[in-house]
Amino acid sequence: MKSEELIVAGDPWRVGVMFSQTGVTAAVERTALQGTVLAIEEINARGGVLDRLIEPVITDPESIPTRYRSTAERLMTSERVRLIFGCYMSSSRKVTIPAVEAFRGILFYPTLHEGFEYSPNCIYTGACPNQNSLQLARYLLQVYGKRFLMIGSNYVYPYESNRIMTDLVVQVGGKVLDEIYVPLDAGRRDFGKAIAQIEKLKPDVVFSTVVGRATAVFYEAYHDALGPTRPPIASLTTSEAEVADMRPEAAEGHITGAPFFETLATPSAKRFVRDYKQRFGQDAPVSACAEAAYFQMHLAARALRRTGTDDPDLLLRELRESEFDAPQGRVRIDAENNHTFLWPRVARLDAAKNFQIVWNPGMRVKPDPYCVVQSLDDWSADPLTATAS
Amino acid sequence: MTGSVLRDLRDLRVQVVHPPDEEGKSLVEHLKRIGCMVDAGWPIPDSPSPQADILVLAINFDAREEIRKLLRAHGDLRAALIAIVDYENPSTLQLVLESGALAVIEKPIRPFGLLTNVILARSLWLERRKTDRKLQKLEAKVSGMQKIQRAKAILMQSQQMSEDEAHSTIRKQAMSKRTSMEDMAIAIINANELLTTKFPRS
Repeated sequence: MKSEELIVAGDPWRVGVMFSQTGVTAAVERTALQGTVLAIEEINARGGVLDRLIEPVITDPESIPTRYRSTAERLMTSERVRLIFGCYMSSSRKVTIPAVEAFRGILFYPTLHEGFEYSPNCIYTGACPNQNSLQLARYLLQVYGKRFLMIGSNYVYPYESNRIMTDLVVQVGGKVLDEIYVPLDAGRRDFGKAIAQIEKLKPDVVFSTVVGRATAVFYEAYHDALGPTRPPIASLTTSEAEVADMRPEAAEGHITGAPFFETLATPSAKRFVRDYKQRFGQDAPVSACAEAAYFQMHLAARALRRTGTDDPDLLLRELRESEFDAPQGRVRIDAENNHTFLWPRVARLDAAKNFQIVWNPGMRVKPDPYCVVQSLDDWSADPLTATAS
Repeated sequence: MTGSVLRDLRDLRVQVVHPPDEEGKSLVEHLKRIGCMVDAGWPIPDSPSPQADILVLAINFDAREEIRKLLRAHGDLRAALIAIVDYENPSTLQLVLESGALAVIEKPIRPFGLLTNVILARSLWLERRKTDRKLQKLEAKVSGMQKIQRAKAILMQSQQMSEDEAHSTIRKQAMSKRTSMEDMAIAIINANELLTTKFPRS
């Protein structure tokens, strides 16, 4: 209808979207892309921002870290974009941030990360260790035992994440039996040695920081070798996206810590999951990254509406301390460190590959990205209470 | 070593001497972000805070007199010094060298790298303090040994003792008088001086 087209008069707000649709982390990055697209479509359906639609420039950096940097540079030069929504692996964020700082843009990063970073030009909407490792550790130590074995992909996030988990385990007199790293694109054979080691050492918990498509490969090989009575694999990165590639029996019983799960039963979470699946298919997994990607786009749009410009300095000022009713609960950007107040939760995979929440402390946690020593004592919520949503 | 320095990060008291401009403010903000206790002040004080573990000092050539004054009051090893520089010219470098800075941050100040420099400066400072203490101990030990050697020579000459006899004599004397061998040796040296000096009769 002509008259409707006239309502949205101005040039669109062009924003960069940088999630891989190919390569090792494509599955989870696709969920973040879809969360972003869903939010943009919602905003545009309501007439955009100040009568201007949001127009995403969607790119595919192919899960190759260096390509994120060149893509970000291209977005900010030839595409004349100032806001970029993207990145998954820490290695991709690390190379993107200098470009975003140099071209005076903002990166909105919807993924958990290992902390020890702050860029004034980055808004971090995923969890940092005091918002997921701490709660997951507490649950595991209480329910399964103190003997851990670490396995991870060979890059910066797994190392640092394992260091933090080791700290927490050792604090309560627990033991890390071994720490094993596999290549980022590990195949079934790469896990042979690790699985043999797990069979030999018999840990109470296997803590996995394996990321991307190697995750399903590992869980299946592990199940095939050890059968259904195996110790659980606990993870912060095994989301609905990775689980989608697994056989149900290989997934059952494993644990993940995150601020959002597809099965969250609150009205806003249900609405978000319903809309997401309506748009992208009933089988499309909805991950915590998708949720963060979704709410960060809404936060950005609201800041655009209030400032009337995509000038990063003004936008950042508006974004700090802003709150938003996200599907996981009300979130808030911390003015001090650009990270986000989030709602930690722990869930266990059931026989139908659904995450069932086993611990919901019901507490919003302030981000503390530079916390060197995580202390279990600082986390006083009672793990025996609150098991619903 | 690095582990414990990192662990102590949140107890570190950092004194920042930098103008309260945009950069100074973002410097203080980031130090707080990484968890340090920050005490920021300007203009350059006459002496550093006695509580500071780390002193972050803007080395501005125009303020060289005030900086030199502060550094003189700072003395040796009171706090680990991190210099902030805006130029790399020989005059500024000279000031940096004089300051005894253990780490340097260049302008414009960016959050990335600050934590590394804080950790580096603190760990170098701790190591240097350890080395200094060890050195002091060793110096004292060498000087004590020289005195015992001298006292033994006196006993060997005046009492016709062997070296072993002289040594055990000093040791026994020290034990019976509940003092160290070094103090005993000093007493012997002093007594010997007194007995062998020819005083003019008055």
